[in-house]
Amino acid sequence: MALLEASGVSVRFGGLLALDDATLSVEAGRITGLIGPNGAGKTTLFNVITGLQHPTAGRVMIDDRDITEAKPHRRARLGIARTFQRLEAFGSLSARDNVLVAAEMRRRWAKDDMSPADITQEMLEHVGIVAIAEETVDSLPTGTARLVELARALATKPRVLLLDEPSSGLNEDETDALGRLLLLLASEGLGILLVEHDMPFVMGTCTHIDVLDFGRVIARGGPAEIQGDAAVQAAYLGTNAGAGA
Amino acid sequence: MKRSNLVVALFTAALVALVLKESWSGTRVDGTAILNLLVFALPLAGVYAISAAGLVVVYTTTGIFNFSQGAIGMFMAYVYWELRVHHNIPTLIALPLVVLVAAPALGVGLDRLLMRRLERQPLVIQLMVTVGLMLTFMGLAATIWDQNGIHVMPTFFGSGGVHIGQVILTWQRLTTIVVAIVLAVALRYLLFRTRLGVSMRAVVDNRELAALAGARPDLVSGFSWALGCSLAAIAGILIAPDTGMAVAGSLSLIVINAFVAAIVGRLRSLPLTYVGALLLAVAIQFSQQFLTLGQRWAQAPLALPAIMLFVVLLLLPQAKLQFGRIGAVHRIERVSSVRDTALGMSVLVAVMAGVGWLLTRSGPNPNLNRLAAAMAAALIVLSLVPLTGWAGQVSLAPLAFAGFGAVAYSKWGGAHGSLLAIVLATLITIPIGAIISIPALRLQGLYLALATLAFASMAEYVIFTQPELLGSQGAHVERLKIFGLNFAGDHVFLVLITAVFGLTSVGVVALRRSPFGRRLVAMRDSEAASATIGVSILETKVVVFMLSAAIAGFAGAFLAQQLGSLTSSNFQMLLGLPLVLALVIGGVASVAGALFAGVFGFILIYVKDTWHLSLWRSLEILGPGLTALGIIKNPSGAVVPIGDAFAPLLPWRKDAKARAAVEKARIALPEVGELGLTRPFTATDIVAIERELGVADDLNPHRAPLVNADRLRNAPTVAPSSEAALGTP
Repeated sequence: MALLEASGVSVRFGGLLALDDATLSVEAGRITGLIGPNGAGKTTLFNVITGLQHPTAGRVMIDDRDITEAKPHRRARLGIARTFQRLEAFGSLSARDNVLVAAEMRRRWAKDDMSPADITQEMLEHVGIVAIAEETVDSLPTGTARLVELARALATKPRVLLLDEPSSGLNEDETDALGRLLLLLASEGLGILLVEHDMPFVMGTCTHIDVLDFGRVIARGGPAEIQGDAAVQAAYLGTNAGAGA
Repeated sequence: MKRSNLVVALFTAALVALVLKESWSGTRVDGTAILNLLVFALPLAGVYAISAAGLVVVYTTTGIFNFSQGAIGMFMAYVYWELRVHHNIPTLIALPLVVLVAAPALGVGLDRLLMRRLERQPLVIQLMVTVGLMLTFMGLAATIWDQNGIHVMPTFFGSGGVHIGQVILTWQRLTTIVVAIVLAVALRYLLFRTRLGVSMRAVVDNRELAALAGARPDLVSGFSWALGCSLAAIAGILIAPDTGMAVAGSLSLIVINAFVAAIVGRLRSLPLTYVGALLLAVAIQFSQQFLTLGQRWAQAPLALPAIMLFVVLLLLPQAKLQFGRIGAVHRIERVSSVRDTALGMSVLVAVMAGVGWLLTRSGPNPNLNRLAAAMAAALIVLSLVPLTGWAGQVSLAPLAFAGFGAVAYSKWGGAHGSLLAIVLATLITIPIGAIISIPALRLQGLYLALATLAFASMAEYVIFTQPELLGSQGAHVERLKIFGLNFAGDHVFLVLITAVFGLTSVGVVALRRSPFGRRLVAMRDSEAASATIGVSILETKVVVFMLSAAIAGFAGAFLAQQLGSLTSSNFQMLLGLPLVLALVIGGVASVAGALFAGVFGFILIYVKDTWHLSLWRSLEILGPGLTALGIIKNPSGAVVPIGDAFAPLLPWRKDAKARAAVEKARIALPEVGELGLTRPFTATDIVAIERELGVADDLNPHRAPLVNADRLRNAPTVAPSSEAALGTP
C-alpha cells in the first residue's frame, strides 16, 4: 500500500489542461523522481497534493484516507510537507525562526513532546545551515534559502516530503551533500517526491521515476528504464511522438 | 447555488422585509412613484459607475486601489468651479480643460512620482499612500477654497428638463445618464478593440510577459491613472450640484459608494460594476422616497453602501492562498527585546511625569490634556501593530473599535470609574471584531481594508447614533478612582495613560517574541508556505483581528476618560484615517511607531490650537497626507532610521554599536555591486578597486594597472539602469 497516492488528477485552467488524469504514488522510505519538461504540470501536481490547488477531477489519498477536500494545514498535520520552486521562505524572519515556526506548529499535533528549539537545532544541523541560522532569509542566496525551506519542511517531521527543484542554486558539492541527506532521510523511512531538472542528481538518488508531459504521466520505472524510454526522449527533445495527440 | 449563498440571500431578504415593515412611509407604489425613483436613481448610479470604473481600470492595471478617487473628483470639481464660476470661462472650454488636460496630467504625475514606486510594496503602504493622497487633496482644497465661502456648482443646460408624465428629468440628470452610458460603451471599445486596451488587459495578467510581448507597462500604468483621474473628475463635476461642495462631505466620500459597485464587479468586470452601481443607487433612492425613518435611523441611508458591501463580501467565493510576492519589499524588522522595551517605557513614563510637573507649575495647562490625547491615540494605533504590522492585515477602523470600548466604559464606568468597566470595554469588542472580520478574511487582503472602512462608516451612522449608547446629548465619563488613588487630575491621568501605554507595549513586544508572533510574521511573508507547515490561515487571521479589536476597545476605555464626555462625532470614520496614516508613517511594525503617531498627533493638535489660521486648521488633514509621500522612500517607517541613529548611543546596546560600525565600514568601501549599474565607473573607483585587489600602481609600481583608467574614462559608460531593466531579459 502506498503512503501517498494521487489518482486520476486533472486540473483545468480555462482552456488549458495542466494535469490530465495523472496518477502517482509515493512509498515510505523511497525517493520517487518526478521529471518532465517545463510546463508539464509538476508544480501543479505538488499544489494539488498539498491542497493549494483544487483538482478538477481525481483524488489524493494518504494512508488510504481521502484528503482531496482537506485544507492545506490539515494535510500538513497528516504528515505532508513541501518546499517550493519559487522560494516561499519567510523572508523577514531569521533562518532559525523559519524552522522554529514549523517546529512550534508541530507541537499541536505531535504525540511526543520534543522541544521546538531542539528540533530546530537538529534540522539546521541536518541541512548544514547552522552557520547562517541568525541571518534574515531575505539576505541569503537563493540556494541557501532553499535549504532553509528544506529544514523548515523537515521540522514538521513529515512522512511525505515533496521537494520542488531543491538543487537549483546549489553548487556541485552542495548538491552532493543534499543527495546524501535525502538518501539518509529515506533510509529513516521518509517518503520523498522529488521534482528536479538536474538529471544526474535524479538518476543518482531516485529509485523510481515518473515522467510527466503535457499533464500526463508518459512513463514510469527505474532510472535505467527511463533513460532508455523512447517517449521520454521524445518529450525532452520535442518531437511529435512526445507531444502525442 | 451554494447553500451558504442561499442563507445570505434569505437573510438579506428578511432584513429588507423587516425594514419595509417598520419604516414604510405609505407612499403608493404606482407608475409615477417608480418613475420618480428611477429619475433620481439612474443618474446617481451613473456617477457611482463612472467613479467605480476609474477604480477598476486603475486597480486591474496597476494593482493599486485608489482611496483618493473621490477626493480627486472633488478637487477636480473645485478646479472646474474655479474656471467656470470664478473666472467665468465658458463650459465648452473649462470642461475639456479639466477633464482632458488637468485630470489626466494629475494622473500621469501621480503615476510617475508615486504609484510606480508602490508596485512591490506591502498592501498597507499601497493603501495608506492613497489614503494620504485623499487627505492631501481634501486639505489642499480646504486651504485653497475657503470652506466658509459658498461654492455652488452650476448644472448643465440650466434648470429645465424633460417631462415624463408628472415627473421631470432635469437636463443635468439626463446628461449624467447619457455620459455614463457613452463612457460604458467607450471603455468597452477601448479595452477590447484598441491596441492600448489589449495591452492594458495583458498587463493585468502578467506584467513581465506583457512587456516581452511588446506591451509597455509604464505607458499602460500612466494611461490608466490618467483615465482614472478623468473619470473621477467627470463623476465629481456631475454629482457636485446634488451633493454640494463640502470638502469632507459626500463629494469626497463617494469613493465608498464607488468601491461597493466595483466589488460587485469583483474589481474586474465593468458591466457587473455598472450593475452594482445601479443596485446601490436604487437602494439609496428607495430608502429616501419610500421609507420614513425615525430619529434613531435617520442616518441609516448613509450606511447603505457599507451594508451592501458586507452582503456582497459574504457572497464572494473564498480566495486562494497567497504566495509570497516575488521581489516583494519586506520591511526591515528590528524586534526589540522585552527588556529594552520595558526600560524605554519606564523612561517615557518618567519623562511624561517630569514634563507634566513642569507644565503645571504655573497653573492648569491645556497641553497636559493634549499629551494625554496623544497617548490615547498611540494606545489606539498600538492595536494595529500586531494586526497590520506583523500579520499584514489592514484595518482602517481602529477608532471605531475604540469607540465601542469608550461607549462600554461610559455605560459601566459609574461615578468613580471602574476596572471592571475597562475589562468589559476590552471584551465587548472581541465578538464584534469576529463578526466584521470573518467574511472579509476569507478574501484577499484588500477586502478586509474595505470591510473595516465600511464598518467604520456603519458605526458612525447607525451604531453610535443610537440614543441608548451615548444619549441624545452625549455621555459624561468619570476618570478612574481606585485603590485610594484619584486619576481625575490632568497630571496624574497623563502619567496613568502613559504607564498603560507602556505596559501594553511591553505586552505587545512579548507577543511578537512568542510562537504566535512568529507565526503572524510567517503568514504575512507567505500564506502558502505557512499553510503547508500546518498553520490554519483563517483561524490565525481571525484570532489576531480579535486581539487587535480587544486592544482598541481597551484603548477606548482610556480615550473616553481622556475626553471626559463622549458624542458620536468622536468616532467618525474620517478621523480614524489620519491615525492609521500616522502609524504607518512612524512604522507599522513597532510600538515606537505607535508612539510616533501619538507625538505626531500632539504636534498637529498643538499647532492647530495655537495658531487659529485656516492653513493650520487644514494641516491636521494636510500634514499626514504630505508625510505619507515620505513613507514610500522608507516603508519601514520613520522610527527605524531614528532608532538606528539613536541606539548606538545607549551604553547597553553593544549590538547596535557593532552594527553601526559594520555599516560605517560598508559605506567607506566602494559598492562594487552597484558600479556600472546604478552609476558609471569613475577613475577614483578604478583606483579604489585596484587598491582592494592589491594591484594599484602605488602598491606595486612595477605592474601595469589591470584596467587602463584613461581608456575607461573615454569609453561609453553604462547608463544608469533600473533593476527592472536587468530583471527582464
